[in-house]
Amino acid sequence: MANNKESKPLMTGYMMSTQLLEIDGCNRCQECMKWCPTFAVRPDRPGITPMYKNARWRELQAKSHSLRAKIFGPKPLNEDEMKAFTEDVYYCTTCGVCGTVCEAGIKTVDLWEAMRPNLVDRGNGPYGKQSFFPKLVKADRNPYQAKQEDRLCWVPKDAKVEESGEIVYFAGCTAAYRQQALGVATVRILNKLNVDFAMLGKDEWCCASAMVRTGQRAVMAEHAVHNVDALKDAGAKNVLFACAGCLRNAAIDWPQWYEGYIPYETMPLSVFLRDKIRNGEVEYKIPLNYTVTYHDPCHNGRHLMHLKGKDWAFEASRECIESIPGVKFKDMVRNRALQRCCGAGGGVKAGIPDLALDMAKARVKDGEEVQADIIASTCPFCRRNIMDGRNDAKSNIKVLDVVELMAASMGLDMTIPENPYTKFQEQDVLVCGPSVCKVETVERKEPGKDIVGEAH
Amino acid sequence: MAFYTLGLTFDLVILLTVIVLAVWIYGIYFNFKKWGLGSTGYHDQLRNSFWLFIATWIHEAFKEGVWVFLRTVVLDVLLLRRTLARSPVRWVMHMCMFYGFLTLAALSGLGLMIDIVEHFNLLGLAEQAEIAKEALSLPFDIFGYLLLIGSTIAVSRRILLKFVRDNTTAYDAFLIGAVFLITITGFYAEWMRGNALLVGNAFEFPIYAPHFALIHTVLALGLFAFVLPWTKYIHVIATPMTLLANRGGE
Repeated sequence: MANNKESKPLMTGYMMSTQLLEIDGCNRCQECMKWCPTFAVRPDRPGITPMYKNARWRELQAKSHSLRAKIFGPKPLNEDEMKAFTEDVYYCTTCGVCGTVCEAGIKTVDLWEAMRPNLVDRGNGPYGKQSFFPKLVKADRNPYQAKQEDRLCWVPKDAKVEESGEIVYFAGCTAAYRQQALGVATVRILNKLNVDFAMLGKDEWCCASAMVRTGQRAVMAEHAVHNVDALKDAGAKNVLFACAGCLRNAAIDWPQWYEGYIPYETMPLSVFLRDKIRNGEVEYKIPLNYTVTYHDPCHNGRHLMHLKGKDWAFEASRECIESIPGVKFKDMVRNRALQRCCGAGGGVKAGIPDLALDMAKARVKDGEEVQADIIASTCPFCRRNIMDGRNDAKSNIKVLDVVELMAASMGLDMTIPENPYTKFQEQDVLVCGPSVCKVETVERKEPGKDIVGEAH
Repeated sequence: MAFYTLGLTFDLVILLTVIVLAVWIYGIYFNFKKWGLGSTGYHDQLRNSFWLFIATWIHEAFKEGVWVFLRTVVLDVLLLRRTLARSPVRWVMHMCMFYGFLTLAALSGLGLMIDIVEHFNLLGLAEQAEIAKEALSLPFDIFGYLLLIGSTIAVSRRILLKFVRDNTTAYDAFLIGAVFLITITGFYAEWMRGNALLVGNAFEFPIYAPHFALIHTVLALGLFAFVLPWTKYIHVIATPMTLLANRGGE
C-alpha cells in the first residue's frame, strides 16, 4: 500500500544537473567494484558499489521522470526499495577510490554527498546514530558533549600558544578531547621549532565534517562561517591541520558556505613540518627502531590531491616518517591514490560500526602483510578505527600519528597534563627514555563509549 | 541500395530515417531535461530547466579555460586515457567499439546523403555519387572489423572472466548482445554480396544479401533511436559529457 511517504518522489534538490548527468555517464565497467573497500568486506552486497547505486538511482528516478512516467503518470516509490537504497548509499565511507578509478570521470564523493541530503529531506536518511551529530554539535559545538571552555585544557602549562597570529593550529575536537597526545605532540614540536602560532580555544567549533558527509547540512553553514570568521579575526595567514577530516572540510567545504574572502591558506601539518625538515631545522635525538607503514587518510589524500597536489596529499607525510632515524619505512600494497579506506569516514563508524570494524581489520591486515610494527597516519579518525580493528583482530600492530613519531624522536616531553578528559584517552603512545622509545597502549579509564564515536 | 527489398522503397527509407532521427532527437532532449532537474551549483536552489542544464554544463566544462577543455577532449574523450590507466584490454575494446561505432554511424549518414544525391541526381552528380559510394565500402569494412573486434572482446570478457560474468545483469547482456548482433548481421550482409574484404566469396549468397542488409539496418536504427536515449546506452552521450564537465575527472 502506498502511504504519504511513498508518494513523495526521489528528490534531486541537492544534486547539480551535471551530477544527474554523471549518473547516466556510468558505463558499468565494474572498475569501482574491484576497488571499493566496503564491497571488499561485504561481497554479498553488490548494491553498495557505485555502479549499482547509480543504476538504482536511475531506476528510482525513472518512476517519476521517464517516458513511461510522462505517458502513464509517475509511479509511487516503494518504501522497501527506498530503505534498501538508503542503506546502500550510507554503506559508503565516501573514500572516493571509485572516483579515482572511474573511467567516466565521475566525481563520486560529491555525488554521494549530494544524494544523501535528498534522502535526509525525504525522511530516509541519515543512518543509525548519525542522526545524533547535528543535535550534539548544535548543543555543544563539538560531538563529545564536552565544554568549549576546555578546548585547550590539554595544553601543557609551559607551552607557548598565542591568541592570535599569522600561523594558527586548528586542533579539531578529537585532538582536544579524545586523542590529546596528538595535540600535545603538535604544540611541543611547533614550540621546539620556534614557530609563533595561535589557537582559537573556545572559538574553535567542530568543523562539521560528519554533518556534510552524512547529508545533514543544516548545521554546516553556521559552523563554517563561524570558524572562518574566527580564523580571520585571529589574523590567520596559514592554518595548520593535524586532522585530515578538519583539513578537508576547511579546504573544500567551508569555502562553499562562506561568501566573503578567505585570506588564509589551509595546510596539512605534515607539509609544514616537511619544509622544516628540508631546511634542517628539525633535530632528532632518539632513533625509533620500528618498521613503519603509512595509511593515507582519504580526506588528506584523494580528497585533497586535486586541490593541493599529490605532493602535499601523499608525499609530505612519507618524507616526515622517512626523516626519523631508525625508522624502516614500507608502503602497503594499496597506497596513495589507490589506498584502502580504514572504514571510519562517511559517518560509517557512527552509523554502521560493524562495517567500519571489518574495514579496519582489512587495513590492519594490509599493514601486517608488509610486516609493519606501526601504522602511522595523519587522521585521528583513521587512527581510532584502525586501533579498534587491531584490537578486534588481536593484532600486535601499533597505530600512531606521524606527528607523535616525530615528537618522540625529537625527545620532546609528551606528557598530557591531567584534565577532565584524561579518563577518555585511549590510544597508542610512545614512551621515551633518554635513548630509546617504546610504544605503549593507554587504556581508557572511563567505561563506555561516546554516543557517536570518533568518526567523520 | 542493397536493402531495397521486401517492398522497401527509397521514399520509405527517407521517411523511416526522419522518424528515427526525430525519436533520437526527442530522446536526447528528454535526457537533457531530466538532467536539468538538478541545480546549477553546490547547495543551490532547484532550477528544473533544460537550458540551465546546458548553461551549467558549459560553465563546468570551461571552468578552467579552453585549453583544459581541449586537453580533456583529446586525452580523455578521444584517447580514453582513464580507461587505459586501468586496463589496457578494456582500452582496446573501448577504442575499437568507440571508433568503430562512431565511424560506421558517420559513414552511414554519409552513405544516405550520397544516396539522396544519386536518387535525385542533384547537381547532375548521380554518376560521381555512385563512384563515391563504391569508395566507401573499404572504410565500411575496416571500421566494421574494428567494431567486431571490440564487441567480441566485450562478449568474451563477460563470458570468460568470472568477476565480470558474476556482475553482468540481463541489461548488460542484452545491450552488448545487441551490438554484437548488429555487427554480425552487418558482416553477413556484406559477405553475402561477395567479393568482401578478407573472406572474398566464401559466403557469397547475393539473393539473400538485401534481406540481411535490411535486418541489419532495422536493428541498427532501432538501437540508435529506440534504445540509445532510453537505456544505459545513453552513456555513449553522457560519458564524454561527464568527462568534459569534470575536466577529465579526479
